[in-house]
Amino acid sequence: MAIRERLQKWFESRIAPRDCVTLTQRNVYILPTSAGWMMAFTLLVLLVASINYQLNLGYVLTFLLTGSAVIGMHVCHGTLRGLTMNLVAPDAHFAGASIPISVHLVSQRKSVRYGIGLALWGSDHWSWTDVPAQGHSTVQVACTPLPRGLHRVPTLTAETRFPLGTFRVWTVWRPAAQVLVYPAPEMHAPPLPAGEPRSGGATAVQRHTTGEFDGVRAYRRGDPLKLVVWKKVAKADELVSRDAQQVHRLELWLDLAHTGSTQSLEHRLSRLCAWVLMAQAQQLRYGLRLAAVEIAPDMGEAHKKACLQALALYAGS
Amino acid sequence: MHNPLYKRLRNLPRDARDTLFLLVVIAWIIAPQTAHLPVWCSAMAAGVLVGRGWLAVQGHPLPRRRWLMALLLLATVGTYWSHKTMLGRDAGVTFAVVLLTLKTLEMRARRDAFVIFFLGFFTLLSNFFFSQSLPIAASMLIGLLGLLTALVNSHMPVGRPPLRQAAKTAGWMALLGAPIMAVLFMLFPRIAPLWGVPSDAMSGRSGLSASMKVGSIAELALDSSIAMRIRFEGTPPRQSALYFRGPVLSTFNGREWTPLRSAFPPRMQLPASVQVQGEPVRYQVTLEANNRPWLLVLDATPAKPDIVGYTASMTPELQWTVDRPMSDLVRYRAESYPTFTHGPARMVTGLQDYLDLPPGLNPRTLQLAMDMRRDPQWARADGAALVAAVMEQLRTGGYTYTLEPGVFGIHTADEFWFDRKQGFCEHIASSFVLLMRALDVPARVVTGYQGGEANPVDGFWTVRQSDAHAWAEVWIAGQGWVRVDPTSAVAPGRTGSFQRLAAPSNVFTQALGTVSPAFAVNLRAMWEAVNNRWNQWVLNYSQARQFELLRNLGFASPSWEDLTYVLIALVVGVSLLGAAWTLWERSRQDPWLRLLQLAARRLQAAGLVIPANTPPRQMATLLQNHAGTTEAHKQTIVGWLLRLEAWRYAPHNATPYARRTLATLQCEARQLPWPASKPSTPSTSP
Repeated sequence: MAIRERLQKWFESRIAPRDCVTLTQRNVYILPTSAGWMMAFTLLVLLVASINYQLNLGYVLTFLLTGSAVIGMHVCHGTLRGLTMNLVAPDAHFAGASIPISVHLVSQRKSVRYGIGLALWGSDHWSWTDVPAQGHSTVQVACTPLPRGLHRVPTLTAETRFPLGTFRVWTVWRPAAQVLVYPAPEMHAPPLPAGEPRSGGATAVQRHTTGEFDGVRAYRRGDPLKLVVWKKVAKADELVSRDAQQVHRLELWLDLAHTGSTQSLEHRLSRLCAWVLMAQAQQLRYGLRLAAVEIAPDMGEAHKKACLQALALYAGS
Repeated sequence: MHNPLYKRLRNLPRDARDTLFLLVVIAWIIAPQTAHLPVWCSAMAAGVLVGRGWLAVQGHPLPRRRWLMALLLLATVGTYWSHKTMLGRDAGVTFAVVLLTLKTLEMRARRDAFVIFFLGFFTLLSNFFFSQSLPIAASMLIGLLGLLTALVNSHMPVGRPPLRQAAKTAGWMALLGAPIMAVLFMLFPRIAPLWGVPSDAMSGRSGLSASMKVGSIAELALDSSIAMRIRFEGTPPRQSALYFRGPVLSTFNGREWTPLRSAFPPRMQLPASVQVQGEPVRYQVTLEANNRPWLLVLDATPAKPDIVGYTASMTPELQWTVDRPMSDLVRYRAESYPTFTHGPARMVTGLQDYLDLPPGLNPRTLQLAMDMRRDPQWARADGAALVAAVMEQLRTGGYTYTLEPGVFGIHTADEFWFDRKQGFCEHIASSFVLLMRALDVPARVVTGYQGGEANPVDGFWTVRQSDAHAWAEVWIAGQGWVRVDPTSAVAPGRTGSFQRLAAPSNVFTQALGTVSPAFAVNLRAMWEAVNNRWNQWVLNYSQARQFELLRNLGFASPSWEDLTYVLIALVVGVSLLGAAWTLWERSRQDPWLRLLQLAARRLQAAGLVIPANTPPRQMATLLQNHAGTTEAHKQTIVGWLLRLEAWRYAPHNATPYARRTLATLQCEARQLPWPASKPSTPSTSP
């Protein structure tokens, strides 16, 4: 088994990673399938029957079938040969979710290419498609969940058995694109940590006494019901309270150090991830602090992405 | 087109549609051989196919495995019961049909589907055991295309592609495969059977063999394949006089007639004596390969037939044998004298061999003979009178000719004369000879072919396997051996001027016959001629023909090794061509890229710096910023570059003329006012 794996590794390492490949004689392989061997056996039986009973029409049938099988072999090889495969760069995903990889198949040929299947190399979950004449089609291959981090898109394989199923024509394709995997958000994460006083200038903060509410924060036990922002609750599905004064004095920092040191690093990163999502959902300003890495408090989609990316790539202190 | 059934079929789910199509193809393949299958097998096949179709249309689940096993067991027992064996051709065909139809009830995995296809191919071939005629060939070609279509269709996993599409692919594959077929067919060495053909290859089919079993063949299939073709020089004899002599069978063990095993030493056995009179009939025979060591000639042929490659000799019973079985088509010339006398004129010891009866069998026939001898009317009658009396009995006693007499017990003659009163020529001849021997008249069975039909188009007479016949010869004092054909008494149509195996007349030919008889005759003659071509070119294509082909190709003395060499050379040649084509294809570039590179070269020659992989639009920008060309020329080139870009990258439907413009773009590229090329490397100038 080990030898097989090593052989596979070696074979894989020989393929230059590319996001766009055009299949040629060089990277398309062909071998008979078990059905192909069965066909060969059938042809042999037909031939022996023709010889033993001296049936000239039997010879005709046997050889016509042989001829069709030979042509079928060429048709099968031609189905993949000349096809161009483009990888659509995959979006970042959370760990634990399966990642759909989209592949764009482009054919210059004047006839349809039938029955092309794509799958991860080594898996058996095929996505089948036909590529129209001088057209293109898109296939999605589900990639098994990956752990947190930046990963190369796994090696893909394309295969066809069209038209007779007697031959398997396949190619192995190593895409160059990478996919970012965020940590999986913790399922039942504790509420967001309390804000910290703004660094450098707590005294400068003016106390607002106008009674206006300037921000929101996560609901804490004991908040009067009239402080709950019901509109936000309906949207975010989480209790949110108005925060009148603290917002200007306090900043929300999501800090690895606040996640409890008893947990494993991954678990703590998961919690941070959940917090980032929570804060984003509540439209809070928040910053992220991961030991050496620090992202200043901000809001918005780009900020969230930056935080999640930092979480994904965090290598430990 | 708009009836509900059609609509319903159209809207079937894909699975159901594919299954129905496959079932129809299977039915098409099995249909021509139902006549040769046991009745239960045909009925079961029809039942299973219809039932399976119903399940598919209704979307019901397939039956459980144990039901299938039970059906399979039943069918296996049935096969054994019908054929008394599981081996050999007929049992094999029956079993293949059983397996094929039952397997349709178990189409779950991809492997099951493949088993169906490959059993289907075999069942397709088994049709040729029974007939290799042109209609069967055409029908099986359709069957093959059907199977290929279903196979292709099963490898189109996406959506619900129209069957037409799969049929097109299958048709193209077969068409492109046809040259391969033709080459293999012509050059594949025709070798002798690899092992003894199972004994049932001949039994149950009309045709000749070295012995004749009586009563064990329940059903005789008329095999319309050709036994020989004859060209008469001069006027041919009457059809009813065409008795081609084959093996003469004189020893009977109660079940089987075999050639004479004499009880006497050779000097006492009958010598070959034949006296001929009158003018001979001269003719040429083309005998099909039959793997038998004998020639077939008309009665009587005293001179050795003119044959190359074999040594012929005549037996005392006037049969011509050769030194080895003829595994190939042979041609020979012979001269026969219709008027002849054969055998001793007076009773001699050797004739006692022809009075032997198997002891203890056919008691009622012996009793009948005894009763006749006691009858004063016959007490003193000679052989000729007794023959006439028995023939009269056959004519008037309610005896009939049938191809399905059933299996006889051990008293075959008794059963024929008294119980069944029906049989085919072998039963009739055997029973007749046994009765004559019981009456003390020396008699023997002669097998061969009787009749044949002339083809008006090429003048050849065709004798088919279905013309195989058995008749009797009795010895009459003063006359010697005299031919008696008891079958003609039972069924005058069987021998004589009647059409032996009438072409199956259907409504169409009947209608045609009434409208225009002359046209019908012409049509039939044409059909026969086409058939003859078919026979000559396809069915009779033999090793002799292959060697002839090689001789034409320049081989002095071809052998089958030469055939193999030619075949291998062809395969190697085609492979090399394929490799060359691949190399050529690899070097060929995308025409669009070629145009782009042409543009890059031209612009570089004019002094522009064009990085590798520059797209056309960027080239256009670079050109715009380049000084040294007139503005009008620049605009023309830029326009062309943008069109080049549009051809490749514009949405497909936005440029309906896309295919045409690449050629146009190439044309335009040649006429573009490319900037003049700069004198190379200015630094070298002084």
